[in-house]
Amino acid sequence: MSTNSQNPGQLEEFSYNDKITKWFIGATMLWGVVALLLGVTVAFQLAYWKLNLGLEWTTFGRLRPLHTNAAIFAFVGNAIFAGIYYSTQRLCKARLFSDFLSNFHFWGWQLIIVAAAITLPLGITTGKEYAELEWPIDIAIAVVWVAFAINFIGTLVKRRERHIYVALWFYIATIVTVAVLHIVNSISLPVDFMKSYPVYAGVQDALVQWWYGHNAVAFFLTTPFLGLMYYFVPKAANRPVYSYRLSIIHFWSLVFIYIWAGPHHLLYSSTPDWVQTVGMVFSVILWMPSWGGMINGLLTLRGVWDKVRKDPVLKFQATAITFYGMATFEGPLLSIKSVNYLGHFTDWIVGHVHAGTIGWNYMMIAGILYYLVPKIWKTKLYSLKLANTQFWAATIGLLLYMMSMWVAGITQGLMWRQIDAGGRLVYPNFIETVVKIVPMYWVRAFGGVLVLAGFIIMVYNLIMTIKLAKKDEKEEVFAAAPLNASSEEANATPHRRLEGLPILFTVLTTLAILVGGAVEIIPSLLSNKFIEKNPNVKPYTPLELAGRDIYIAEGCYVCHSQQIRPTPEENLRYGKPSTAADSVYDRPFQWGSRRIGPDLARVGGKYNDMWHYRHMMNPRDVTPKSIMPDYTWLFKKKTDFASIEKKVKVMKALGVPYSDEEVRRAFDLAQEQAESITKGLVEQGIPSEMKNKQIIALIAYLQRLGIDTSDKE
Amino acid sequence: MSDNKENLILHEDEKHLVLEHDYDGIHELNHPLPSWWFGTWILSFVFAVPYFMYYVMMDGPTLMDEYKKDMAVITQIKEAEAANGANFNLEEYNSWIAANDGVAKGAVVYEENCLSCHAEGGRGDIGPNLTDDHWINIKDHVGADTIYPVVFKGVEENGMPAWGEVLSKEEIMSVVSYVLTLHGTNPPEAKEPQGELIK
Repeated sequence: MSTNSQNPGQLEEFSYNDKITKWFIGATMLWGVVALLLGVTVAFQLAYWKLNLGLEWTTFGRLRPLHTNAAIFAFVGNAIFAGIYYSTQRLCKARLFSDFLSNFHFWGWQLIIVAAAITLPLGITTGKEYAELEWPIDIAIAVVWVAFAINFIGTLVKRRERHIYVALWFYIATIVTVAVLHIVNSISLPVDFMKSYPVYAGVQDALVQWWYGHNAVAFFLTTPFLGLMYYFVPKAANRPVYSYRLSIIHFWSLVFIYIWAGPHHLLYSSTPDWVQTVGMVFSVILWMPSWGGMINGLLTLRGVWDKVRKDPVLKFQATAITFYGMATFEGPLLSIKSVNYLGHFTDWIVGHVHAGTIGWNYMMIAGILYYLVPKIWKTKLYSLKLANTQFWAATIGLLLYMMSMWVAGITQGLMWRQIDAGGRLVYPNFIETVVKIVPMYWVRAFGGVLVLAGFIIMVYNLIMTIKLAKKDEKEEVFAAAPLNASSEEANATPHRRLEGLPILFTVLTTLAILVGGAVEIIPSLLSNKFIEKNPNVKPYTPLELAGRDIYIAEGCYVCHSQQIRPTPEENLRYGKPSTAADSVYDRPFQWGSRRIGPDLARVGGKYNDMWHYRHMMNPRDVTPKSIMPDYTWLFKKKTDFASIEKKVKVMKALGVPYSDEEVRRAFDLAQEQAESITKGLVEQGIPSEMKNKQIIALIAYLQRLGIDTSDKE
Repeated sequence: MSDNKENLILHEDEKHLVLEHDYDGIHELNHPLPSWWFGTWILSFVFAVPYFMYYVMMDGPTLMDEYKKDMAVITQIKEAEAANGANFNLEEYNSWIAANDGVAKGAVVYEENCLSCHAEGGRGDIGPNLTDDHWINIKDHVGADTIYPVVFKGVEENGMPAWGEVLSKEEIMSVVSYVLTLHGTNPPEAKEPQGELIK
């Protein structure tokens, strides 16, 4: 321990809370297996639809959100907490602020994960990507996050090191930004204990959601890992960090610029042009600030590349940084409008995301665990050979994943937009473009198996390592001098002085992220351009609203977008482009982000009711070779007519112009509409008791989509 | 602890760049910003700022403007195609089918576009049976000249899409020739007759 030799008489004794780190390491290993297993499952479901198993709880639409939530919040989340708690104590020469808060944080977070694992397969979802959890769980997340924030900032305050190190800057940015994002995006009005509608509608909801979604990538998957990199890479390499100056420049530019880039998820959508342009240009300007972290990490390894070859910790970390560099080059590239047009809604994006999550997060986590487990349990790694096996399995698996998704995405993107000399689509049937990429789905799934197998090898290796450890190890006691004026550095630069003021540092970081967030969000809440009215667009009928909730519960948005982009080929395929007015009553918006099936923004009236009935019963009946699962339970489960009045009432409270009469008669109106749809179907041979089933409500919703404005140019 | 300054790997050329500080054994060098990095960053501004100014502040074309321009071209092409397609001539049809093996081509077009409603062999499913003598959308007689316009223009009230927007004239002629071969066959599980009896 390097102690302050100037004050040998005043040393304080303390120990570190490493038990909490051990717990978070255990949770990381457990949820890592779960998250990756779910990923492999959904990958195979796309390659072979029968693996949806015909059960509502196991269809792709419900498991895919579970996979993303498990990967981001359970697997990566626990790893972040393990790494932050371990390194913060050492960087501050202080025990964590509160053992109670540490335990509360741990168990609270695990309970939230369990709640997610139960509710998402049950179809309890808000239908907003990476923010699917319903309002009581959202509140729990906010509470646990605040406990984490207090515990962390409390530790900073009682530190015995005057200046806070760059890793801690990134942790601060993570903690404040995730809190802001989560709270703003989750504001909604409850209908009942497990159902709510967001306060934002349509374009507003889309902007808030992708401001959140993009920055979940930024401040949950990027900044905490940059912080961890700044601690674990120099520790493992025993090398000084390459450039303090670069740390300062790229930290501040990253946290300031990242937050602006969210609208690049909404290029070619019905959001205002200026918002899209802001999203694009900030994404381009973000490229170098992102690479600042890569350079600082890789150049820290200058001269020790022979160690990188041998040491699994450095090997994983160096690979992680390389993939980080690749993904943060691909990101700005995909934000260029014309490139985005080709890649958006395709698997290219899915590949890009996994370059980040597997390449950057998984690899970094593996490196950190290989460092932490032997260190914290005071033993040696069980098997170097197994660690190397994992490295190759994960790397080859990821490369297969990325390459298959590049091929699939670009193939599909090009097929969608191919127009012949006669002004017709070359591939008018969407299914042709799906069938073409199914072989790539098999390659991807196989790559995923390798990544999962590698992880399981690591878990085994680490458990065996822990078994080697001596039992009943006592907490080690350290000594250091408390903070006092004399520990101030002479001739400190302004930034160095700021590093001695963590609260001010936190405030400035918060301001840096609020500017970009405010410019994006506030106009959307104030300006009516975002909620452009079109008198032809009417609110959904009560039955359509119920059908819409079924659509959301089944996760249809995971495969079907509802946003027609303003280009001729989209017009030929789906109808005229979507406008802000079209989704003005959509709470939540359902624009989607991937088209595994065709866009549905104007599907209303395109097929008859019987077509939809048959399509949900067995998609292959009407679309041979479709990869969509059967939705047989929609024909057995009853529509929840009882709650419809409450739903309409909540919508009215949010500003949807329903009359009092409509609210009062919501139940009857829904029954009447169900009756009339069923009557038409009965003539074609379906049993009349279908009237109360979910399929009828869903048909009502699907037949409504886009018809208010579809033929009025 | 093992990680202290004595074990730190330092190269000769960077010793003067080590800062005083030490955080849990971690040291920092103070290398200047790499010039290629800084230069590229400046270039990203050089691209982004004028781009933003042109498209947002100086009325550069919006996505909608571009769309309308492209759409005008497509509409023109489509109108010419529609005029050509609507212009059905039985002689032209007969000679084209004979010269191009139209029925075989039509079977493929049928499978990709018509099967989902009219089912295999035209036995009917969501759409009517095409093998019997009852028809919903045609009058007078069963022939290429009466079926072609139905396929081309569609019959909205009966749920028949306008295929002229999706398929070329040749494709429609070929599928019509294929459908005519189905007429009079008696496939199993055929849908009950709909519409009027036409000989």
